[in-house]
Amino acid sequence: MALLKLEDLHVHFPIRSGVFKRIVGHVKAVNGVSLELKSGETYGLVGESGSGKTTTGRAVIGLNEITSGKVFYAGKNLIEKKRTKELRREIQMIFQDPYSSLNPKKRVLDIIAEPLRNFESLTKQEEQKRVQQLLSQVGLSQKSIAKYPHEFSGGQRQRIGIARAIALQPKLIIADEPVSALDVSVQAQVLNFMKDLQKELNLTYLLISHDLGIIRHMCDRIGIMYKGRLVEEATAKEIYENPQHIYTKRLISSIPDIDPKNRGKMMALREEVKRDFDEKYNQYFDENGLAYDLKAIAADHFAALPGEGQ
Amino acid sequence: MWTFTFRRVLIMIPQILLLSIVIFFLAKMMPGDALTGLIDPNIGPEAIEAQREKLGLNDPWHVQYWNWITNLFQGDLGQSFQHKLPVTEIINQRLWNTFWLSVLTLILTYLIAIPLGLISGRYNDTISDRIITGYTYIGFAAPVFIFALLMLFIFGFQLGWFPTGGSVTPGTVPGTWSFFLSKVYHMLLPALSMALITTVSTVQYLRSEIIDTKQKDFVLLARSKGVSETRIYRKHIFRNSLLPIAAFFGYEISGLIGGSIFIENIFSYPGIGQLFLSSLMQRDTSVVTALVLLFGIASILGTLISDLILSIVDPRIRMK
Amino acid sequence: MTDPLLHIQRLRTSFKIKDDYYAAVDDVSLEVNKNEIVAIVGESGCGKSALAASITGLHNKERTKMDGRISFKNKDIANASINQLNQLRGSEIGMIFQDPLTALNPLMIIGEQIEETLMLHQKMSRQERKKRTVELLKEVGIPRAEQIYYQYPHQLSGGMRQRVVIAIAIANNPSLLIADEPTTALDVTIQSQILDLIRKLKDEMHAGIILITHDLGVVAEMADRVAVMYAGQIVEIAPVIELFDNPKHPYTRSLLQSVPSAFDKQERLYVIQGVVPPLPNLPREGCRFKSRIPWIPEEVHEKEPKMHEVGPGHFVRCTCYEDFHFIGEDGGMNHGAS
Repeated sequence: MALLKLEDLHVHFPIRSGVFKRIVGHVKAVNGVSLELKSGETYGLVGESGSGKTTTGRAVIGLNEITSGKVFYAGKNLIEKKRTKELRREIQMIFQDPYSSLNPKKRVLDIIAEPLRNFESLTKQEEQKRVQQLLSQVGLSQKSIAKYPHEFSGGQRQRIGIARAIALQPKLIIADEPVSALDVSVQAQVLNFMKDLQKELNLTYLLISHDLGIIRHMCDRIGIMYKGRLVEEATAKEIYENPQHIYTKRLISSIPDIDPKNRGKMMALREEVKRDFDEKYNQYFDENGLAYDLKAIAADHFAALPGEGQ
Repeated sequence: MWTFTFRRVLIMIPQILLLSIVIFFLAKMMPGDALTGLIDPNIGPEAIEAQREKLGLNDPWHVQYWNWITNLFQGDLGQSFQHKLPVTEIINQRLWNTFWLSVLTLILTYLIAIPLGLISGRYNDTISDRIITGYTYIGFAAPVFIFALLMLFIFGFQLGWFPTGGSVTPGTVPGTWSFFLSKVYHMLLPALSMALITTVSTVQYLRSEIIDTKQKDFVLLARSKGVSETRIYRKHIFRNSLLPIAAFFGYEISGLIGGSIFIENIFSYPGIGQLFLSSLMQRDTSVVTALVLLFGIASILGTLISDLILSIVDPRIRMK
Repeated sequence: MTDPLLHIQRLRTSFKIKDDYYAAVDDVSLEVNKNEIVAIVGESGCGKSALAASITGLHNKERTKMDGRISFKNKDIANASINQLNQLRGSEIGMIFQDPLTALNPLMIIGEQIEETLMLHQKMSRQERKKRTVELLKEVGIPRAEQIYYQYPHQLSGGMRQRVVIAIAIANNPSLLIADEPTTALDVTIQSQILDLIRKLKDEMHAGIILITHDLGVVAEMADRVAVMYAGQIVEIAPVIELFDNPKHPYTRSLLQSVPSAFDKQERLYVIQGVVPPLPNLPREGCRFKSRIPWIPEEVHEKEPKMHEVGPGHFVRCTCYEDFHFIGEDGGMNHGAS
């Protein structure tokens, strides 16, 4: 059974205008997304800014209101049921910016203990012990407990954010651009660490990123989002080596190649893919500019290809 | 733009309505009513009761409120027992005095604030900046009424440079040039006293805005275009730093109202601030109520003006 | 060989922190030729942006000290007056910045912001300026240029705003273009369009371009030569193919190992030990990278690391590269010194 399942998820934001601020339309940030996360896997959600990837993640954790559709967590519909305490502790989030997501006026102890205080009643000693244990789990020294966020580097801050996220032993972590504010060497550290932690705690990740290198490195399966809909979903290898949708092709071909000898080849490829994209755009999207529904084209490979709809 | 203005004006209607209700009840809660001051102690309670009935003071509150508000719209704010005149007439005389005093104060406030804020922000952490911030600290610490008394004492009484009371030299003919000059001459010291104190928050605000703006990326880009420093301050930093000051304008007006009560009393300036205090002392309820309503509407208009200014200078608001 | 367009010699740029000056750019020498893209790579705090800003003296003069020579078209500009610099900025030397969302004045229409640079550096009538501005907008690939001219920055997307910034940079046909992380804030599809545009500028205007980036993929796609900076110094410089095929300096090799690639899957990423120290604590003696490769014996480092030529146009600082080998973060992983 899937740990997390989204069925036809819609998140629409109203656009208001005029003297009385009446609703004149909607921004369909997420416009019919269905996907499944298996327990213990890393699912990558990729797309440009404005594609709806972040909104999808925030909707799952309850930070954006869901317009319609279903979100099942371990078989339970999160929309019909009020999110129980149990559910809220099992899904946690890691935020993008380690510089602004930690309250600068709080000590590390208070930051990490905050979720514990909300969900568990521990004595001061128990709480301190748990926080110290979490600190050693994320590889920070015990002395950190009394320090403030500004005393740490970016990578260390992101570890504090991760310690806070795993304090309640969650099963699902939604990581929204967890390393995009960090330098490459620090980024490598945090990514390795997230992988280790996943093995250790059997975590499931929903990883949201625009960096296709990171997605390739971390993910088992990948969903490509464009204008609020999924255009392709497959294993990481399939997406990178055998993309089917014109948007996926465009995205993959845009990644700068690390080998300067391929420069000419890449430029020609990009040129060709772009021409293809412009020519076939109307074929791949319906009259409202929306991607078609995903269709299976192989085991574990789905693409929103044109053709008779279901 | 027009939708924005229209919307913004529309919002004012419930604001003013709410304000009038609040003021109405506050007036009711005050000890005494419109009759108290008029009563001859020799009249018996039955006659008073009859008078109360006649004036409608025994009606239920909504009837009373309705009468009050409809009269208000017809320009009837009641009768002042202290002056034995209609409230509108008393206020009208002094309103213009206060209005022009406020305008002059505002002009002086910005005349002081803009150059000082600019110098202080542009050359921050230099001697001139330290002197200016030093002045602002003094301004924050000194209460308006003490400072005004000091000004009056030095420039009015000791040096005799300025008149120490009134709004115009008695005997000058309204409409003449000398009348106008005399008016300005009488306003100058009170306006300056108030401006020197109220300006400090604007100076500080402008200073920190400029320090903030000069580190923005678009200023760096302007430098990389080869724009001279003078032009950078004129074209890029100044306007962007003034935006929040414009937003402050409305509050400035509310501040002026508070200040005018002190200033007009100290300088014996016949404006509504002075009227307000004396009416309050005399329990002249109808005048006090009318003035509070007036002050309230002035504040609401102030924020309206702020928002409109902001929407004119900031395209990001204008386009919405 | 002709003289380089830009010749930086032993440049040191120091910033005042509290009461002392600390060199963020420390003894950097670099040449940029006409029709050449030189990439400067490194992590934040390595001094690459400080170097870029030093060239046209964009730092706050009161808190900055600069030593060394910067000669541009054979004229020393390191000690130029602000008026002399203002004549170069925007005309001979154009700059592109990282964040297009904050780089434009929010209260000025797009047209006015481009025209300002034309007005300062060329004698043109109002009509000519407007015509040229619309041309420039078209040149950088902005559709509906006549309308965009009258729009404010907040009405444009990030990619469009970056095109406007580029239009400003190239308005007066500069011979040197300095691009500081021009695509970092952009989506990958927009990034490839902007990179195409920069490449086109080089091909058409034959400008020299300094491209500052932390993205090794962008370097591989764009650069002719690459300088790798660490702790305020250039630690390695080489033609682009040579650098990627045959990286020498431990820092270059570490960087290359730590980037997750979209083209093949690594199990683990290499992690450089320690962190880049903050400016006041930068090591100033011996090999600056020493503390981050502590398993390399002390004696293989030079006392005063110099640049060593290891191939045509390929220079490496310090002798430690000869004996460098990787060691994994848990001590067991050896990527081998190939």
